[in-house]
Amino acid sequence: MLIHILRYKFLSYIKTTFDRRLVTIVRGVGSLFVFGGFAYAAYYFASEATRFMLDHTRTGLYLFHTFISMMLFVFFIAVNLGNVIVSYSTLYRSMEVSFLLTKPISFTSIFVLKFLDNFFYSSTTLFLGAFMMLLGYGNYFGYPLYYLAGVMLFVLVPFMFLSACLAVLILMAIMKLAGRIGFRKVIAGLFMIYFFFIYIFFDSSNPMRLVERLNRFFPNMDTYLIQSTPEFLRYLPNQWVAEFLYYSARGEMMNALPYAAILLFVTAAAFSVCLYVAHRFYYRSWLVSLHVRPTVQAHTDPARKHFFDFRSQSSFSSQIEVLLKKEVLTFFREASQWIHLVVMIILTILFSVSVSNLNLRSHVFDMHLITYLVLFAFGGFMVGSLALRFVFPLIGLEGQAFWTLRTSPIKESKIFLVKFFMGFLIVFILAEYIAISSNIPFIKIIEKKPLLLWFGIFSAFWISLTTVALNLGFGGYFANYFERNPIRAASTQGATLTFLITIIYLIVLVVLVFVPISAYFTAVFRFQYFPMKLIVLPGALIAVFSYLLSTFGFITGLRSMRRDF
Amino acid sequence: MIELKNVTKRFGNFTAVDNLSLTIPQGEFFGFLGPNGAGKTTTIKMIVGLFTPTSGDIIVNGYDILTHPIEAKQSIGYVPDIPFLYEKLTGREFFYFIGGLFRIPKTLLHDRIAELIDHFEIGSWVDKRTEDYSQGMKQRTTIAAALLHHPKTIIIDEPMIGLDPRSAKIVRETLRLQSKNGVSILMSTHSLSFAEELCDRFGIINNGRLVWCDTREQLQIHKARYDGKFESVFLEMTKQ
Repeated sequence: MLIHILRYKFLSYIKTTFDRRLVTIVRGVGSLFVFGGFAYAAYYFASEATRFMLDHTRTGLYLFHTFISMMLFVFFIAVNLGNVIVSYSTLYRSMEVSFLLTKPISFTSIFVLKFLDNFFYSSTTLFLGAFMMLLGYGNYFGYPLYYLAGVMLFVLVPFMFLSACLAVLILMAIMKLAGRIGFRKVIAGLFMIYFFFIYIFFDSSNPMRLVERLNRFFPNMDTYLIQSTPEFLRYLPNQWVAEFLYYSARGEMMNALPYAAILLFVTAAAFSVCLYVAHRFYYRSWLVSLHVRPTVQAHTDPARKHFFDFRSQSSFSSQIEVLLKKEVLTFFREASQWIHLVVMIILTILFSVSVSNLNLRSHVFDMHLITYLVLFAFGGFMVGSLALRFVFPLIGLEGQAFWTLRTSPIKESKIFLVKFFMGFLIVFILAEYIAISSNIPFIKIIEKKPLLLWFGIFSAFWISLTTVALNLGFGGYFANYFERNPIRAASTQGATLTFLITIIYLIVLVVLVFVPISAYFTAVFRFQYFPMKLIVLPGALIAVFSYLLSTFGFITGLRSMRRDF
Repeated sequence: MIELKNVTKRFGNFTAVDNLSLTIPQGEFFGFLGPNGAGKTTTIKMIVGLFTPTSGDIIVNGYDILTHPIEAKQSIGYVPDIPFLYEKLTGREFFYFIGGLFRIPKTLLHDRIAELIDHFEIGSWVDKRTEDYSQGMKQRTTIAAALLHHPKTIIIDEPMIGLDPRSAKIVRETLRLQSKNGVSILMSTHSLSFAEELCDRFGIINNGRLVWCDTREQLQIHKARYDGKFESVFLEMTKQ
């Protein structure tokens, strides 16, 4: 039965993906170029980073793999959290599940179907990125391709699969508990557990403290590290992957293979537990989900007015007023929207607080330049992620109810602008917060000269404007009005393409700021004069380039809103 | 008043509406009939601005829907075939939302919404979110919303889907009253008896072409030629 359904799902996917219309072919070729670029960039980055760490900075092999373990931990948590949120929609809110439940199919089969759908659909780009990073890493060590394919298949995919299995188990536990104590309490509790776990992990494997301690053991760093790895870290899957890679790099396959075996065994066990729990509980939890209200009561008291009540008077024109109120209410009444926004805001705050406390004591020119560029790019990446998740789906989420706007006496540009400002407001505030926080360490070190801070604020404005305009415009162009799940809408092929364009835009910005920032740090550390024109010209180029891209986003979005509906 | 002049709509190689010309004067109740896939919904979607015609002109109450969409839409009340609503809004919020889009002043809107809630007997669930509505509840909400701004023209696609007998009666009487008050109505339906009961004139569309268009009196003559049933006329006109 499962194979039968999967066959038709696959056929349907093939037919919709590979139709012979010119627009689909052009879109496919465009995607191929952008995905190709992304894949090559991931490969190049991993290859150069490995080379830099092991050859240039002479980081020991074990220390390097300890850093990989930390990155894998973050990756594991990201995949896990993402799957908890996406699985809620695919397992409990999907029309397909409602349809399949009326057919003679076992609940476990439906569960497996949606679980696989969820895992493979939302992880395609992650698979590509992970494999290309692995290729880049393997390039340094001269591994053959078949070996890396094996590592991908038997180590990295099970690693991600384990994360997804745990996510689904957590979700089913949430549903069970939510039926008893309420959705909000469960979500709050879950957040606390996640933060506690992340805190414990980074507290015991604090990278700064690690590097400081290591200096005392130089050059016997690996011996020290192997002995001093905290015991509990050895039970984490990210550590198994890192240890597997470490021993493989040393050519000690007999030491490496047990880690792969543990990972495969634990993943298989976790999946078996998932199947057992799904067999016992999935249908019951699905029934519970019908009654669990993730937000405030669905029946509004007509006598009580809230801040965004449609009946209240407003200083905006009536059209703008109702559009704004509709956007706010529909956003905050959708659990997957506000929960994800809260998560993103907390992550942004965590990032910004950590970055603002960064201690750049040493006056090493290279270190300041690289740190600045990494923070600039990463800040842009976070802004791009925010725009992708919350702005890209804005037009598509109008759904089939979009007829109400399209048949009303309102200009499409007004609808577009309201959506733009809603998205821009959130993204801009967070972008400025990130920009200011990530410039604080540099202000401290360069005796409170605020030039970099102003440049950061200026760049954050243009990055926000461009990413929001691009995501809204492309979100309109690729809009699927049948998709009601915002997370799935933000992980479609069109969304990925938009995100990759955003990445290319950010790379261009990094290239533009490289020379002036380099000159600035040189001037600061050598007590030389820094001519302002060196930063004004790249700033102007950033403004012009961003303005052109934003206009392109606006035009694409507006034209998409005038298409047949 | 609605005027369609040589309107054609193509989707790739497929012609959904083929050189359609039609005039519905003010106050007329026009029944738009045809088999599945004949082009009814496509025509309606072009009139309300959801589709752009490949060629031809569409004038609604003196305004071209392509060149003056805002003015044209201001005078239309549209009810789609499937009443999709914003699921996270309540019925009452949806009314205020639509009222705001049509720039109805708040003071008038409060009274108008109360009047329509009363008329359509939806007071017991209008403050629930529309995600909890049945098909009939959604249909009644959509029809009520279309009447909020006192439109000069009503375009209604399959109004009876999902309605229980009581709701169907309310909708029937509402449409009849609107027509009496001089509102022109274009109604697409598969229910021949319903169309025959309400409409002043009928048009049958098949394969994108208007194959028959005549008044209630002429329909009686046509029916007499067959077995006295509208169904027989319809089947003959839409024979492949």
